[in-house]
Amino acid sequence: MLIYLQLGWRNLWLHPVRSALTAAALAVGMAALTFLSAMNDGWMQQIKGNFALTLTGHLQIHAAGFEQSRKLAQHIAEPDAIVQRIDGIAGIRQLVRRVRVSGLASSAGSNGGALIYGVEAADEREISRLAGFVQQGRWLLPDDVRGVVLGAGLADRLHVGLGDKVVLMASVSNGDIASEVFRVRGLLHSGVMDIDDLLAIIPLRMAQQWLGLGDAVTDIVIRADDFDTVDPLQQRLAQALQGQGLEILRWNDIDPMAQQWADFADAYTWVVLLIVILVVLAEVLNTMLMSLHERIREFGLMGAMGVRSSQLFVMVVWETMLLVMLGSLIGFLLGGGLAWWYGSRGIDLSQFAVAFSFMYMDPVIHPALQAASCLRILGAALIGALAAGLIPAWKAARLEPVEALREL
Amino acid sequence: MALIRADGLSKGYRSGDSLVRALDGVSLDVPQGAFVVLAGRSGSGKTTLLNMLGGLDRPDSGSLVVAGHDVLRMSRDERAAFRLHHLGFVFQAYNLIRVLTARENVAYVLQLRGMEKRQRLALADRWLAEVGLQGFEHRRPDQMSGGQQQRVAVARALAASPDLVLADEPTANLDSHTGANLIALMRHLNEQQGITFVTASHDPSVIAAARTLVTMQDGKIVDLREG
Ligand SMILES: Nc1ncnc2c1ncn2[C@@H]1O[C@H](COP(=O)(O)OP(=O)(O)OP(=O)(O)O)[C@@H](O)[C@H]1O
Ligand SMILES: [Mg+2]
Repeated sequence: MLIYLQLGWRNLWLHPVRSALTAAALAVGMAALTFLSAMNDGWMQQIKGNFALTLTGHLQIHAAGFEQSRKLAQHIAEPDAIVQRIDGIAGIRQLVRRVRVSGLASSAGSNGGALIYGVEAADEREISRLAGFVQQGRWLLPDDVRGVVLGAGLADRLHVGLGDKVVLMASVSNGDIASEVFRVRGLLHSGVMDIDDLLAIIPLRMAQQWLGLGDAVTDIVIRADDFDTVDPLQQRLAQALQGQGLEILRWNDIDPMAQQWADFADAYTWVVLLIVILVVLAEVLNTMLMSLHERIREFGLMGAMGVRSSQLFVMVVWETMLLVMLGSLIGFLLGGGLAWWYGSRGIDLSQFAVAFSFMYMDPVIHPALQAASCLRILGAALIGALAAGLIPAWKAARLEPVEALREL
Repeated sequence: MALIRADGLSKGYRSGDSLVRALDGVSLDVPQGAFVVLAGRSGSGKTTLLNMLGGLDRPDSGSLVVAGHDVLRMSRDERAAFRLHHLGFVFQAYNLIRVLTARENVAYVLQLRGMEKRQRLALADRWLAEVGLQGFEHRRPDQMSGGQQQRVAVARALAASPDLVLADEPTANLDSHTGANLIALMRHLNEQQGITFVTASHDPSVIAAARTLVTMQDGKIVDLREG
């Protein structure tokens, strides 16, 4: 085994320029691939993170069927009991209660559909980024009885500004329409259209009274430690809350968009991966076939000496793998290093920020290579190396020593 | 008992309409310890016969037993193993693996035969000394003269203590002085160690060294002379 590695290594040095060029081509391809994957991973982390932290949280508990119906009649009557029941379950970093209802917002001159959220003003800061998006005025205070924070787009449609009055209307559990007057305390600007154009945020207490819910809420929103712990946490919650008539939904159940983005990006990196590997393989194959052709006599000689064709096969595969792995590793380290360098500094894409923020993206991307991507890239290089080695190896193994020896 | 027993070996090549009889019913017995030289004009079938004896080529008909093995019944891998354990080859030129040093070239065959590292390196050095190449152990083929390369090839062929060494025009690319030295070396090893050689050549100094001279013509043995 070792002798074939050694032979392979030295054979590569027989044509240092050719080998170096091939390895360099490989390295460039791999570096680009690695960096691109790191960008993509960084993006996806960001999009998922922003998405979950903007509004949905990692997990939500509702009365069963609420996400589908969005009817207030399907509420969690005793949220405190539920919170107590799940208190102490590992992996819950933070939770808040919310009331969520669709309704209508109207001002003196105009009206429009609104998504009304009743939130715990203080705790909400810990779980969502809503408070941080307030660009005019301020976030709700716990004693803001009739305060409302409006999405900037909604405020525009209603032609209202800070201090103006807005009437919110929604249908309550029994089907009646309830309405209440609020005063605009803050305007929020997230860049996410659904939020800016629809959201009207009021204090939870106020929402409960106004909508006749008592202590009931519609959502218990949970922030987990990170995305990897969401699935197991969901299972633990489901176990703890069995038979309570509740649904426990993950961020991607509530809105599949971010997941779809991630899946799309994933598919896209697979395609790029495939193209890079194919191009690189063509290059390696070419080099190896050339090298094989020059050494036909040597293979014949080895065959005559009693080297079995399977040994010749292995030798050529090793040599190819060595070349590919060398180039790939250099490229991987280069791309990884670049990703690491930019990972802490970030790549500023603020030129495109408007288009991006609606996908829950920050204007600065921090490449962050995930273990899964590393495995995928290195695995593809390895499989590619094997594949590129098979054809020349098969050719070498098939050589008849008598014929090979006639070549001079 | 004969080391080689060849009987009625024939081999034809079709080129266009005509059939070239590279070997035409060759029968030859070579005893253990012989020093056979195959002579004959270009195209007379020397290489074809040598390749056949080495299990590199198959005849169309005839039978062949080498060192007690029925070579023609063997599979490809069995023939490779047979060559590895019983034969040594020396060809006209480019006998060596380019990227290995003299010592590594010799040791490689020993490694293929499973010899442990320290032992095979020592043996390789001993054989290099035997062929007069002490101090050249770490040279690569392109750092040695043609004659030195051929001597490395002889050392490699002999290091594994084969039953039989097959040499095809080993002196053809050497000047006459160097060629004469090489053949003297082979002859010396034949006499000292009893190793059997079959060498194809039309080099007069090789023919002069023959203990058995076999002359071929048109794929047939036309003369066999004990010297
Ligand atoms: N693969 C082949 N295809 C066609 N003809 C072949 C082949 N190998 C050998 N021959 C023919 O067989 C005959 C014997 O060839 P061989 O190489 O054995 O001769 P030789 O005695 O070794 O000649 P030389 O002294 O030139 O090496 C020649 O006529 C040659 O052209
Ligand atoms: Mg010949």
